[in-house]
Amino acid sequence: MNKTPKHFRNYLFIFCVFASVFFVSNSGAAEGGPCKDYGECDKFKYSLNDIESLQRGASTYINYCYGCHSLQYSRWGRVATDLQIPEDIFFENLVFDKSIKPGDLMTGSMPAEESAKWFGVAPPDLTLVSRYKGDDWIFSYLRAYYEDASKQYGVNNLVYPGTAMPNVLMALQGNQRLICKDMPVIAANGGEKRDDLGNPITTEKCGYLEVEEGTGQLSKEEFDSLIYDLTNFLVYVGEPSKAIRERIGWYVVFYFLIFTALSSLLYREFHKDYNH
Amino acid sequence: MQEKDKTRRKVLIGLTSAVGLSGLPFVATPFIAAWNPSAKAKAAGAAVKLDVSKMQYGQQIQVAWRKQPVFIVRHTEESLAGLDLSLDKLADPNSDQILEPYKGLNPSRSKSPEYSIMSGVCTHLGCSPKYHPEVEPKPWDDSWKGGFFCPCHGSMFDMVGRVYKGVPAPTNLVVPPHMFEGSILTIGEDKEL
Amino acid sequence: MSQMAGKLFSWVNSRLPIVNTFERHLSKHPVPSKVNFWYLFGALAAVTLIIQIVSGIWLIMPYSNTEEQAFSSIEYIMRDVDYGWVIRYIHTTGASLFFAVVYLHMFRGLLYGSYQKPKELVWIFGCTIYLAMMAEGFLGYVLPYGQMSYWGAQVIISLFGAIPYIGESLELWVRGDYYISGITVSRFFALHVVALPLVLIALVFLHLVALHEVGAGNPEGVDIEEYLDDDGVPLDSVPFFPYKVLNALVAIGVFMTVFSIIMFFFPEGGGYFIEMANFQEANPLVTPEHIAPVWYYAPFYTMLRAIPDPLGGLIVMAAAVAIFFVVPWLDRSKVASIRYKGIYSKIALTMFGVSFLTLGYLGTVGVTEIRKTMSVVCTIMYFAYFLLMPIYTKYESTMEVPKRL
Repeated sequence: MNKTPKHFRNYLFIFCVFASVFFVSNSGAAEGGPCKDYGECDKFKYSLNDIESLQRGASTYINYCYGCHSLQYSRWGRVATDLQIPEDIFFENLVFDKSIKPGDLMTGSMPAEESAKWFGVAPPDLTLVSRYKGDDWIFSYLRAYYEDASKQYGVNNLVYPGTAMPNVLMALQGNQRLICKDMPVIAANGGEKRDDLGNPITTEKCGYLEVEEGTGQLSKEEFDSLIYDLTNFLVYVGEPSKAIRERIGWYVVFYFLIFTALSSLLYREFHKDYNH
Repeated sequence: MQEKDKTRRKVLIGLTSAVGLSGLPFVATPFIAAWNPSAKAKAAGAAVKLDVSKMQYGQQIQVAWRKQPVFIVRHTEESLAGLDLSLDKLADPNSDQILEPYKGLNPSRSKSPEYSIMSGVCTHLGCSPKYHPEVEPKPWDDSWKGGFFCPCHGSMFDMVGRVYKGVPAPTNLVVPPHMFEGSILTIGEDKEL
Repeated sequence: MSQMAGKLFSWVNSRLPIVNTFERHLSKHPVPSKVNFWYLFGALAAVTLIIQIVSGIWLIMPYSNTEEQAFSSIEYIMRDVDYGWVIRYIHTTGASLFFAVVYLHMFRGLLYGSYQKPKELVWIFGCTIYLAMMAEGFLGYVLPYGQMSYWGAQVIISLFGAIPYIGESLELWVRGDYYISGITVSRFFALHVVALPLVLIALVFLHLVALHEVGAGNPEGVDIEEYLDDDGVPLDSVPFFPYKVLNALVAIGVFMTVFSIIMFFFPEGGGYFIEMANFQEANPLVTPEHIAPVWYYAPFYTMLRAIPDPLGGLIVMAAAVAIFFVVPWLDRSKVASIRYKGIYSKIALTMFGVSFLTLGYLGTVGVTEIRKTMSVVCTIMYFAYFLLMPIYTKYESTMEVPKRL
């Protein structure tokens, strides 16, 4: 039954020959990523236990987004409860239609047919956008608008080129433009190229986003923080039970680890009966 | 097998079984809980709020709560005074035979002395009785003092929904839990109950 | 009290063979004493089947099988039904783990020659179960009626259209409509919820009865029936209960740990268990950027894409599953287990494993020129394992199989 070392080496060689097939297949990406012209999407890390962040995000959503984008699978009362906002405060400040009851779905106020005419396409419902587009995508998209006079609303978006959505948050962010900057030339080994005096050699590179100074109500950090909260809220709304799911998960996994350990001891105990 | 091993074996069987079985109620929880009324059911079955201050005296309105009609009657002074006149015609004037949430509180059988709140479902076979407040002879009663008449099988109830003797319906119209906050009536919920 | 229970038990037992069945199939059923972890996946598959049935029943309750409400009923389950999300994730995690466990179970079969005489019928029932599972998984994935449900169904149903002469009518007949609609969803619902589960349960039953008739194998490929003790019980065996049941219990513990980790922390499986596009409601007017099947169909999807002709692709894909059925007759080796087979079998099985995994990978990513070539190469490797088997198993030099475990 024991293979000689030579056999094993031969076998290993054959295995590697076959395995190379896998690595060859892996080579090279097939097409552009989800964030298109923006490049790699910015990484987003949700924090569903940060209730204040979710509350701020909810407020931003209701004030800036809900006018066009419904959250048709979400219920008002549930959002108030999950975000730990007392129902009366929630309904006073965030629910503008007084006929809405807590159990109602957040069906939005934009009529689908008209909006399709106005925008070319009806603003989609966003309850699940964090699940089918991803939170990285949303976080990047909302910050990637730039001035573009050739478009209907004067803006375009690097993450979603040709988007039919105007930059609703422009007043907060300011006027973002696509600019060209003098950037250092990177050599083949990754280092910056320098001239004889030690100064970096630069060349003009385009495609950078920059906000015009003083055109926005919020600073860059404040705006990024706002978008963080908004994206965080969308992650919550995409799956309201996500936070509790992860919390329960620890207990369940721990339980099964204990169970596995115990049943393993039990098995070994009985295994003694026939261990020869 | 030695005694020590036998005990070890028993302990392990016991421990593993205990741990295993202790998980069962947790596993069962989602499956049992999934049968509870969902958020959709709770929303549809939620309490109904309305402002009754604009009602006229003697008027009856009807609202839907949990897919059933609920009558709200705003009584006139005469109507309330005349409640005792048909006492001998009633089968259960003090609502002894049924569980009534606000028994004895008001002659109107509700939390308010001037409004009556009652389920608009005839206690016979579920038709909706019609409101006849006029005190005048009726085809179904020569000395009608006002109340409800059910067209399906002729059951009669007085102005506050108490059932007459000798009619198919066995009990008084049911009074749902309700509460008043000023003139806002909430049917289906009573924070004090 | 216990006397009464005892009397009640004997009353039942004299009318229903409880004790007899327990002894025949559990406490006195001999199984090889030395097996390894590869032999635990059958039990895990059975456990997963039960998990799927129970969670499935609970999902039917709030689910709506109409075109208008299917998608929103899933969100209803996830949000409005108390703990509905637990039940949903149990079912999706269970589906993926069901296939993972069954693939490992099948690989055990290839490793140790579990299909060899007299277990050919056990193997055939098993292959039929796999076929039924493929159908069941596909039908189930259509039910949430997301983008991938719709477009995946579109691709698979159009495969029927590739069949010559009857193709188009068959496609129309399967769909029940001129395009995929609620009619298709509700019939798939009936098949997924009632028809195929019944078929699966029946097949699993037959699979186990056939197995018990001839006895389980072992990693050495030794025939334990050759050496019996005075009572006719094989020397190299242990009773299934309690020894193998306890072994299975440990396996279940590990399995449930993995299950819980996935279910509570990565239920979407990085987009491989629940595809991202399926969080959008089915839209016949918008095709998703990538139409990819769930990971467990990926190897066959790659083969389908590797062949440019639709009928050719369908035939190759069908052949890739069908060829499993005839393995008992392709393997001409005198020995059952890979441990004693020759070097060619070892190389061939490695080649198969690598090609299957690579085909799987290729089915989940976009197409490039290199990948197209690799798909063809791997498909050839896959089929070579089977088609060359009669040759290499017959002529390679094998090692001596021991007599005892």
